[in-house]
Amino acid sequence: MSKVVDREAVRQAIEKLPLFSSAALQLLQVISDPDHELEDVVKIVKFDSALTMRVLKAVNSPVYGLVKEVTSIDRALSYLGERMVVSIAVQENTGPLFSKPLDGYQSEPGGLWRHDLFTAIASREVARYAKGNFDLDLAFTGGLLHDIGKSIFATFWKDASLEALGQIEQGIVSDYLMAEQDLAGLDHTEVGYEMARHWQLPESLQAVILHHHHPAEAIECMQPLVYAVHVGDIVSMMAGCDTGSDGLKYQLDPGYQEFFNLSPNALAEIVLNSEEEFSKAEASLVSQ
Amino acid sequence: MSQSILGIGDYGAVKHPGGEVKTFALGSCVAAILLDPRTKAVGMVHVALPDSSINEAKARQRPGYFADLGLPLLIQEMARLGSPGNGRGLVVKLVGGASIMDHNDTFNIGKRNVLALKKYLWAYGLGPLAEDVGGNHSRTVSVFVDTGKVIVNCPGRGQWEV
Ligand SMILES: [Fe+2]
Ligand SMILES: [Fe+2]
Repeated sequence: MSKVVDREAVRQAIEKLPLFSSAALQLLQVISDPDHELEDVVKIVKFDSALTMRVLKAVNSPVYGLVKEVTSIDRALSYLGERMVVSIAVQENTGPLFSKPLDGYQSEPGGLWRHDLFTAIASREVARYAKGNFDLDLAFTGGLLHDIGKSIFATFWKDASLEALGQIEQGIVSDYLMAEQDLAGLDHTEVGYEMARHWQLPESLQAVILHHHHPAEAIECMQPLVYAVHVGDIVSMMAGCDTGSDGLKYQLDPGYQEFFNLSPNALAEIVLNSEEEFSKAEASLVSQ
Repeated sequence: MSQSILGIGDYGAVKHPGGEVKTFALGSCVAAILLDPRTKAVGMVHVALPDSSINEAKARQRPGYFADLGLPLLIQEMARLGSPGNGRGLVVKLVGGASIMDHNDTFNIGKRNVLALKKYLWAYGLGPLAEDVGGNHSRTVSVFVDTGKVIVNCPGRGQWEV
């Protein structure tokens, strides 16, 4: 089997990516600490005027229907929640990565952003059903970045997608991730992991990006988080919010049951709540 | 030509020449499609979950989201365009209800949606004439007034008629 992707070329594409702003990095760092307080987030946002402006614009978006204009970051944050601020910071620092069409996956422009945003919201909803303590906003952030690797990988993957679908249909490979490995010699989770390292994202986020299709391979302390995103990703695809030809072509790892109590009714609630929050979040971020 | 686009939980019917009802990316959701060969009306409901009893507030806000409420509402819509209110003589097609690979029962919402729709159709004495359901691919579907055709699209697989 010819390995169609040149690893060196991928490495160079990643090297060229602009770094995250220090405010955005601090924000992700703070969020990944389960003991952080809202005040810590407020401080970071206040020191970044561009971020401040965008957060205020989001909270005053017509979708929230607030009667009085919100002009303070404190109020905006307590209304929107930390997760919306993270979404804005990530959107701002990844530039066109999320919005360009994923050619190799035959996905529309903006498809990756929609999939990752839906996954973020669904992962957080899944985390509510955790058996132990769980940092909900960290699940959100993990979901938001989990497939970022597709943005770079898709340009190298190009038209291998049809062959991948054929391989899956014939049972040569067990899912789309294996098809990527088999045809390209690497997959979107590895590429995403290298991007996360380039950006110096917190380790928990690196783990989510690398292991979201095989959460059992993450180190033990990261597993609850990675499983939350694993399930959130699946809910997102079930809701029709996928990235194109790879939609639904991944395996469910039943190991999630060790960390979450998910009955069929719980799953139905997760679908309902995620879809509702997603439409609002998407609208308020688009109007930026 | 005019297109009515349905989101999750929406339902609608049309019968003017050139009319089309379409819904995108069904995933585990199911589109129940009704055609009336006499009036030429076509209708669709985009159902996400089998049973509205899990959330009463949502059931009131977006009844079309649920198989048990969405189907009767679609039949009412068809009646508004001249079909019998009891659904007699309507042609039914089902599309969607896909699932992730290697899923367990909990995650098989697609199958539960299809079964629920069939149960409620049965209560009207109806059953699907054709269906394209299950599998691991998300479908986009259109139904056209002029031809009565139901066309399914899927990224990487092309399009076909159901
Ligand atoms: Fe992925
Ligand atoms: Fe994903």
